[in-house]
Amino acid sequence: MSGIFASMIDGLLIGAVYGLAAMGLSLIWGVMDVINLTHGATIALGMFGMYILFSAFPVNAYLLLIPIIAAGLLLGLLIYWISVHWVIDRPQLASLLSTFAVNMMIIGIGTAIWSTSPYNVNFTLPGITVGAYTFTGNHMAAASAAVIIALALELFLYRTRMGKAIRAVADNREAAELMGVSSTMVLALAFAIGISLAASSGALVSTLFPFTILSGASYQMKSFVVTVLAGLGRPFGALVAGVLLGLLEGAVTPFIAVSWIPLIEFGLFVVVLVLFPRGIFGRATA
Amino acid sequence: MDPVLQIENLESGYGEVQVLWGISLKVHPGKLTTIIGANGAGKSTTLRTIMGSLAPWKGRVLMNGEDVTRLSTHAKANRGLVLVPEGRQLFPDMSVEENLEMGAYSRRARKGEKENLEKVYATFPRLKERRKQRSSTLSGGEQQMLAMGRGLMQEPVVLMIDELSLGLAPVLAQQLFLSLKDLRKQGLTIVLVEQNVHLSLALSDYTYVLAEGRVEIEGDSHDVANMDEVRRAYLGM
Repeated sequence: MSGIFASMIDGLLIGAVYGLAAMGLSLIWGVMDVINLTHGATIALGMFGMYILFSAFPVNAYLLLIPIIAAGLLLGLLIYWISVHWVIDRPQLASLLSTFAVNMMIIGIGTAIWSTSPYNVNFTLPGITVGAYTFTGNHMAAASAAVIIALALELFLYRTRMGKAIRAVADNREAAELMGVSSTMVLALAFAIGISLAASSGALVSTLFPFTILSGASYQMKSFVVTVLAGLGRPFGALVAGVLLGLLEGAVTPFIAVSWIPLIEFGLFVVVLVLFPRGIFGRATA
Repeated sequence: MDPVLQIENLESGYGEVQVLWGISLKVHPGKLTTIIGANGAGKSTTLRTIMGSLAPWKGRVLMNGEDVTRLSTHAKANRGLVLVPEGRQLFPDMSVEENLEMGAYSRRARKGEKENLEKVYATFPRLKERRKQRSSTLSGGEQQMLAMGRGLMQEPVVLMIDELSLGLAPVLAQQLFLSLKDLRKQGLTIVLVEQNVHLSLALSDYTYVLAEGRVEIEGDSHDVANMDEVRRAYLGM
């Protein structure tokens, strides 16, 4: 019995990181109606970003999140100007293809540099032992970091002028222009934040598991599941949905082979799409 | 006095379809100018082209003598060219107060934000009562008040209003017209596109009558209201 309990605690903590990754996908989706297929590749870049930084500066790995967040913003602006800006008002297929193209470029370059063999970030925080179970320090730190970033995003979107401008553009781009909001600038910023969230979630994952340049794909898939669960709403919704997905994984892993997990997750994906087409915490649209 | 907003031979349309065939207007400071005309005459298209929401094909838009034709919509808004658009175009997922805050987004409107918010709440007390509510939960009349309030938060140099009374109960329309009259008294420059010809002729200083994308008649509103062709075509007399 303590096995499933331990596994669910791990799942809950990892779920917060899934939620963080999904926030990046759903922010971009919600604000500009672009399904960003560079998401997985960006998560992988976050993993390798952490690997490179930690190799150069072997300090507390979680401090290295700060430069990764900054680098993620710059990378996001770059990807926006390369692959999104030109197709923003075109049918969704155009941005799907252009972001997929950038995804392939990142994976290609990454494979050339790092091959597809596994890497890991050799950093361990001490855990806390309660009775028979030890909470691993890295899991707790990664989950805390994810929650802090989610709260910061929530505050930014709901309390600051620029954050409100992002929500206004998401709601009604033409009306936002009439208020004096440069929608191009806001779209670029929202995309940059989305990419930065993806990169930081990748960086957090890299402190938990070994990874390859291809590892982003499965987190991209999980982000889709979480986004569909949460709907395109507040960051907090994605966090809760991510935790739910993590708990579900934790609850089933002691009983079945890991290879069954995608099947269960996508089964859930289909069920939610059919029963709650706007997500469980979906926003209303006028 | 020089016009604050001047439109010269404006042409535009949607896709291949030309709607405006050379519209010229002058808007003088402190005056209420109204644009009337049948459905499809190009009234809303004129306002949208002035703002740049719709790209002008030909012609010029001058603000205080300066050519702003090719400026982006947000740059024009930042100069105080304000449009309260047809169909309100609120931010549905944002609260009433956040919608008003968005009105004060530009640097020039930011300074007076607090004061303007008080003014808007004084003019439309209903908005204050509902300030925490999502704007999509408001009634039609309240949404129109919010759209007006949001426009006023922008500290307009010229306030352009597209269809103030469309879809509103007569009492509410009356109320909004009265608030417009107050604003006009306070010296605000207003351009009103309206399907209620009676009220807008009675309220305004100068009137343009559009037909098929051209200015058919223009003049002091009092004179226009007494023209036979206007009385027959638009006032049903």
